Amino acid sequence: MRKINLFFIIFLFLVSGCASQDIKELQEVEISEYEGERLGSIADFRENSIKGPQYIDIDDYNLKVTGLVENPVDYTYEEVLEKERYKKVVKIDCVEGWSVNILWEGVLARELIEKAKPLPETNTIIFYAYDGYSTSFPIEYIMGNDIIMAYKMNGVVIPPERGFPFQLVAESKWGYKWIKWITKIELSDNEDYEGYWESRGYSNAGDLDKGFFK
Amino acid sequence: MKINIRKWTSYLALATIVLYIITGYGITQHRFMEKITFGLLTKSLSFKIHSWLIIPLLLFLLLHLYYSCSLFKRLKRWKR
Repeated sequence: MRKINLFFIIFLFLVSGCASQDIKELQEVEISEYEGERLGSIADFRENSIKGPQYIDIDDYNLKVTGLVENPVDYTYEEVLEKERYKKVVKIDCVEGWSVNILWEGVLARELIEKAKPLPETNTIIFYAYDGYSTSFPIEYIMGNDIIMAYKMNGVVIPPERGFPFQLVAESKWGYKWIKWITKIELSDNEDYEGYWESRGYSNAGDLDKGFFK
Repeated sequence: MKINIRKWTSYLALATIVLYIITGYGITQHRFMEKITFGLLTKSLSFKIHSWLIIPLLLFLLLHLYYSCSLFKRLKRWKR
């Protein structure tokens, strides 16, 4: 009888030991290769924002979709993350002469806008950032392509210095169109809207295969 | 009045190099450069000047090199 009790106690001890071994998740680590393609590093970026890095409190954060829409929408960070996720390796080319190849993960800007039901007269989509920066695109560019609003780069959450919570992955556009710290998306009928750098002499189209001056 | 071409090309080469460096900083450190120039040297202006300067810079450097070499040759001949 004593032997059985002893075995029972040992068994309980072992089981309780196993149960307490929860797997703790460590901090995400940046990846350097994706499907055989070499990636750059988050550290390869140069800090060239207009007011320095912005630190957004995610509890107070809202992504607004406003302007020429039937149904203006306010997304929380979590609501954006609930959307279907997309991944793509895209190289960012800065007008300063440097470039970085990054695996971007995020949601489609198109899907966020569709929920707000754009009005037919909309021809321009303006993105605004937390630091007052802004840039615009023709509606066809955003709605007709798979343009990602990224929240992860190289497998890790975008750090505040790089645009947390969201950076636009404006493929085939110069780096100044890749707006960081996005807070608002405005649908407009003003084709001539000029963003921060565009009003200071940069091209509004910002196409990578063309010069970046007007 | 005799113009000393060698002297002038070296002065111009120096001036373009200094301007090239300043406008380079105007691109990469635009916030700081805008502040210390009271908003005069903006990033887009820096870009424009920086890209225009490349031809004069090369020209003055080559002229400076040419006149310095010819002076060096003359000095060598004189020493003999």
